[in-house]
Amino acid sequence: MELTKNITLGVYLPGSTSIHRLDPRTKILAAAILIILLLFVRTYEPYLLFSLFLFAVVLLSRIPVGYALCGLKPMLPVLAIMWVFQLFLFKTEDTAVLFSWWIFEATEAGLHMGNLISLRVLFLFTTTTLLTLTTSVVSLTDGLESLLKPLAKVGLPTQELVMTLVIALRFVLILAEELEKIVKAQMARGVAFDRGNFLQKTKKLFPVFLPLFIGAFKRAEELIVAMEARSYTGGRGRTKMKTLRFGRVDLYSTLATLAFSALLVFTILRSGPLY
Amino acid sequence: MNLSVRKIVISGILGAIVILLGVTRLGFIPVPTPAGHATIIHIPVILGGVLEGPVVGLITGAIFGLFSFLQPGAPFFADPLVSVFPRLFIGVVAYLVYFATKRINTVLACVLAGAIGSLTNTVLVLGMATWRGYLPAEVSISLGFLHGIPEMVVAAILTVILVKGIQRIRPAEEK
Repeated sequence: MELTKNITLGVYLPGSTSIHRLDPRTKILAAAILIILLLFVRTYEPYLLFSLFLFAVVLLSRIPVGYALCGLKPMLPVLAIMWVFQLFLFKTEDTAVLFSWWIFEATEAGLHMGNLISLRVLFLFTTTTLLTLTTSVVSLTDGLESLLKPLAKVGLPTQELVMTLVIALRFVLILAEELEKIVKAQMARGVAFDRGNFLQKTKKLFPVFLPLFIGAFKRAEELIVAMEARSYTGGRGRTKMKTLRFGRVDLYSTLATLAFSALLVFTILRSGPLY
Repeated sequence: MNLSVRKIVISGILGAIVILLGVTRLGFIPVPTPAGHATIIHIPVILGGVLEGPVVGLITGAIFGLFSFLQPGAPFFADPLVSVFPRLFIGVVAYLVYFATKRINTVLACVLAGAIGSLTNTVLVLGMATWRGYLPAEVSISLGFLHGIPEMVVAAILTVILVKGIQRIRPAEEK
């Protein structure tokens, strides 16, 4: 069981391409705009444009395409099942029936709904993965903190919330390694994780979950002591060694993203929803 | 509003477990239904609510929601109203249930917090999915029974075991 192999979220591939060197705020904002636009896409054409854009980003950042997509692998079976699910179960009033089997009917609307929703999943996934692959956790934090500053004025503990997110991202890989050790240790004791029915499989999870959580909480206690010993106070009045600077490349890429977004909005508006 | 270091760290680590269970698919138990799996990813959120209070429950729930929106496991989660919004309530509800019943018996309180926290997830997610038109109502209801009940049972059992186990290793002032 290689658990850590397919984790691409929270992994940073260091590089010195223009995408890597962009101000994190530019990248976060661009990703946010694209994700929001994705929610309104109801036809196929915008996805074509979208994939061209993402492909350009991948090329510019010199990330191996296979690596960027390998996080998708564990997701595919579920995606396929849900696609079939949509195909048979989504119904509208006036739609052509493609074929029917027993009590199920595959409708044209269901087919489109399944396709579009699966595409949205794929693009959401790729967009966020590209962001974390090209941006280190440190600059992601700085960018988020600076973007959320207006909310801090209202009284939200933005620094603390960003810190929480950072801890979460940082600990995913650490806990994954721990999980792998636990799973291997239990397998060495003769637990066959892939055999048995639903109940047996569930039961086998208990000897994995308990050590995982206990280990995680032990780490948490250690981290709390370490942070308190260093007088962490949520970063009020904290200064930065590297201040973020919005450069010319950022201006160009923001303009490019905005132009692309405008194009996307135009295509979304022009083509009415398919269902 | 201020967040203590403890709250920040515990929410962060529970958030990491949520993400981990999601990316490794370990948080999905295969069951013989159309959707193919029951989830146990919401258990860290319930734990956050029970062990550290509503704020940690809320933050962990938000991480859960955000993650399942950005890296969706099922197509209808690619809509923040289905993925993020319902998850904000899991931890808070679990905390309220635990807080209301812990006087009677802490084990019972954990069972109830786990079960009702899980129920909150099932009902709100499927409710939102139906309301937004991703699933027809009959399918949602049958899914609710097929998934909701096993999820509730597993969540109740795991909550008791984990809360009891974790309370043993935590510093004494927390009780």
